[in-house]
Amino acid sequence: MPAAGETRRRPGVGGAALARAGRELARIGVLVLVVTSALFFLLRLTGDPSAMLAGPDASAEQLAAIRAEYGLDRPLIVQYASYLSHLFRGDFGVSLASGQPALTVVLEALPATLALALPALLLAFVCAIGLGAWLGSGTSRARRLMSGLVFILQGTPGFVAGLLLIQLFAIELAWLPSMGAYGAASYVLPVATLAMFLLPKQTRLIASSVREAYQEDYVRTAVAIGATEREVLFRHVLPNAMVGSVALLGAQAALLLSGATVTETIFGWPGAGTLLLTSAQVLDFPVIQAIAIVVALLVFLANVLADVAVAALDPRARDAAEAV
Amino acid sequence: MAAGSAAANLMLRGGAGLVLLMMTTSIAVVFVGGADPSSGNLDNRLAAPGFGAMLGTDQLGRDVLVRTLAGTAWSLCAALAATFLALLIGTSLALVAAELGGKVALAIELAVNSVITMPGLIIAIIVIAVIGQGWLPIVVTLGLITWPIFTRVILAETLSLKARDYVAASRLVGETRLRIVMFHYLPALRPTLLVMAAFHFADMLIAEGALSFLGLAAPLGAPTWGNMMADARPYVFSAPWMLLAPAAAIVVSVIAANLIGDGLASRFRERRT
Repeated sequence: MPAAGETRRRPGVGGAALARAGRELARIGVLVLVVTSALFFLLRLTGDPSAMLAGPDASAEQLAAIRAEYGLDRPLIVQYASYLSHLFRGDFGVSLASGQPALTVVLEALPATLALALPALLLAFVCAIGLGAWLGSGTSRARRLMSGLVFILQGTPGFVAGLLLIQLFAIELAWLPSMGAYGAASYVLPVATLAMFLLPKQTRLIASSVREAYQEDYVRTAVAIGATEREVLFRHVLPNAMVGSVALLGAQAALLLSGATVTETIFGWPGAGTLLLTSAQVLDFPVIQAIAIVVALLVFLANVLADVAVAALDPRARDAAEAV
Repeated sequence: MAAGSAAANLMLRGGAGLVLLMMTTSIAVVFVGGADPSSGNLDNRLAAPGFGAMLGTDQLGRDVLVRTLAGTAWSLCAALAATFLALLIGTSLALVAAELGGKVALAIELAVNSVITMPGLIIAIIVIAVIGQGWLPIVVTLGLITWPIFTRVILAETLSLKARDYVAASRLVGETRLRIVMFHYLPALRPTLLVMAAFHFADMLIAEGALSFLGLAAPLGAPTWGNMMADARPYVFSAPWMLLAPAAAIVVSVIAANLIGDGLASRFRERRT
């Protein structure tokens, strides 16, 4: 559902748009609250972080001291209330592993992940549009071959693709580094790996929308009144085909964190995914929760952006939104 | 439409055939044949493919082919069970929400949105931390993370069914809700459910592999494709066969699942037109 975008077209419904945006915000507020609460209690079920903090040789006194220091000795419901009240003031707590503020830890790891995710999104999207437009706009031997390749690629999980890319480009050919984030060349393989999580579904969706768009009346009309092939593709077919693809992009944003975690693990990349795994290993609750909240907000943002883009691309969606 | 349905049938048969072939080979070699995926010969570590071990051996001298086949049973069954669990939870909640509406539907919608908003990997880490690693935990985890997609799609479709005249008519003649769900909704939802299940199965294969690869799903040393690929990482230079066998297995199985999904989808599409 588009949250914005309609204000620009019809100023008369500006108030309604504002109300819609407010409702959306309230909705994400409730969601974050439910998610945080669920995570809080689930994480407390998993074990006692004080044992992890104190180490295996700690005495009972040391354990008690650590519990007192981190407030882990209080009743669970008191801990929960205190956590929530701090959260409302923007305080995500302190990382049990490093002693740094949890939010700072997460925000420091995030840029490295975004530096992979955003180029990967863009790369997948651009490649998918090019490939999809070509695949959908006719039939030929070359196209059938490429469809087959895309089908195989769709069956290749990102982490398998990543490992095979390392095998080929970093080891057999030794063209590119396989580990770490040092310089531009080290971005190539992880970005390609992450893009492969997204590319096949996007390509197949665009190809099928392009194929369908060629059957639509307005495209047939454009062809009938003498529009060139290029005009038909770029002015009539593609904008339409992109609507579904942008919507899918929003949905795939949620997938990116899992994809990023796997990719970062394979390539030893110091991002949020690596942070999530290492934090999970030592039960660093505040950091895990901060990651969950930040990611939930990012996914929400991506979906809102996708909705706005869909509304801008698709007059039907725009009209539907205004009718609400 | 004859050509189209022939292609659809071919995809369907090919995909199903591949899955069956992998499953029977796995059962025949590992469970009936008694080949042990965990026994290794340390004198024969990292041996290249050859007469002794057709696909080579790993860092502990274990047969890569036998381990890959053992992983086949593990992964296919886990993905199948996880798909079934997600379908069961997701569809039941969708039907309940569609029939009862009101506050119940709102609560279900909130649950759907919460689970979708929570990063799946975080839930997976937590659930596995609570109930431990192993085959059943991975099935439960994947089911618990992925059911909302079924709820979303099936709810939308059920609501459109609910508005149909024949459903309203059945209600008027006094059919119970349960009867309407069992005899009107479920048969009409069957095509969607089958297609979704096939594609979900593919996603579950990938997810199980990724979780195992990250060391989150299968116990250390268990013969699963993800574990094998994680084991292979330090040896990509000296023993690439350790990586290639499980990688090929996972790719072939996901392609088979996608073939089934595409075949079913185009078969149902043709029937409708």
